[in-house]
Amino acid sequence: MSQKLDVVQILLLILGGVPTTLSISLFSFLMGVAIGIPLSFAKTYGGKFPQILVDGYEKIFRGIPELVLLLMFYFGIGYYIPTPFKNAFFTGIFVLGLRSAANQSQVYRGAIRGIGEDQMIVARSLGLSKLLSIVYVMIPQVFMFSTPGLGSEYALLIKDSAYLFFLPGITEMLEIANGIRKATGVTTTPYLIAAFLYILLTFPIATWLDKWGSRKKKQLGM
Amino acid sequence: MNIVIECQNLWKIYGKIVAVKNVSLKVSEGEIKLLFGPSGSGKSTFLRCLAMLTTPTKGEVFLRGEQLTKENAELDKARARIGFVFQHIWLFRHLTAVGNVELGLKRVLKLPRQKAKERAMKALREVRMEDWANHHPAQLSGGQQQRVGIARALAMEPDIMLLDEPTSALDPELTGEVIDTLRDLAKKGMTMLIVSHEMPFAREVAEEMIFFDEGTVIEKGEPERFFTNPRSERAQKFMARLIKRTRRE
Repeated sequence: MSQKLDVVQILLLILGGVPTTLSISLFSFLMGVAIGIPLSFAKTYGGKFPQILVDGYEKIFRGIPELVLLLMFYFGIGYYIPTPFKNAFFTGIFVLGLRSAANQSQVYRGAIRGIGEDQMIVARSLGLSKLLSIVYVMIPQVFMFSTPGLGSEYALLIKDSAYLFFLPGITEMLEIANGIRKATGVTTTPYLIAAFLYILLTFPIATWLDKWGSRKKKQLGM
Repeated sequence: MNIVIECQNLWKIYGKIVAVKNVSLKVSEGEIKLLFGPSGSGKSTFLRCLAMLTTPTKGEVFLRGEQLTKENAELDKARARIGFVFQHIWLFRHLTAVGNVELGLKRVLKLPRQKAKERAMKALREVRMEDWANHHPAQLSGGQQQRVGIARALAMEPDIMLLDEPTSALDPELTGEVIDTLRDLAKKGMTMLIVSHEMPFAREVAEEMIFFDEGTVIEKGEPERFFTNPRSERAQKFMARLIKRTRRE
């Protein structure tokens, strides 16, 4: 790389990492939804055994630093099961997704409490099974109640995608910023620009989500 | 006459609290029975036990002769045949009026979309709410919400409607429209068990009134008797209070 990169060039280079950063965050977020929703309902409506399992899951994935999990899955488990764990992109999404599920489960549980028992009772009174009641009555409302928590969870995932810097073979934003510093000796600008982009990727969406949720809740009188 | 719903020696006990104490009751096809009594006397719990929304501690419930209080009873199917209207209305807040009514039709009775919509609109027409079909509950008054609640139960074409104080959460000026709706249902021969303290309405439509206190049936009989000459002292006192209140209103 040339020694004389100006700010715009640095910005353009780092922008090249945005798709990776964004897709890691987005896919792990979706994985968190897919696992977090069943976890939250299992803990609320399941018996004692599911409750203990979910509790254990949450404690493990919220308690262990993400970096430890990432390195453990990539180098540790990846050593024995190289496909797919030696793929940094996959392992990044997988680990952040599992962690996010633990967080999201708690967010959804708060929402379920906020919605109250009545909606479930009415659904059952119409003859809907527990599962159908959850799918058609509870889940749509759970999302409306969860938007503030989901906004911060999404922001957290954007930030945590930077941990993938420590895995080889993946070029998200921090990796590129750091590469520029190494190649050019420009020590501050690349990180500042990366920092700026992280903020740009998190807050507008998180804030919009929060506002959308509040508006929706107000409209529906929740 | 065909018995639609029946319970025998029904008990519901929460720890040390006996909410329902040894109640036996029958409602036959086309009958309207009215359950009344002081608040906290276990009427709601009893009604929920009948619909198997709460599992009774002891005793039996039968829906058209089919025992619901046995293992492997198909409770979801049974609940679909029992229309339940709740005191606090409880519409699905994320769905429009017609969405509320359609849900059971689509997901329980598995009607195709178009058919469900038609039947939901028909039910809304019956409670005179078709013009509000696309409004969310938050945009409706309490009385309108309760009429949607009734349409939701009605659309399932239940064998019986259980109504738990359908007007008590409403402002007095809104109870009239709900009572009118119930009167229409009565005219159409709907089998109903209603918890209510709307005495003029009771006198008009109920075949039998059942006075409930401390979790059990104290006295039952024709409405006229309750208004003129209740036998038990507790019913006498309660009726006197109710009549005084009704006059004040």
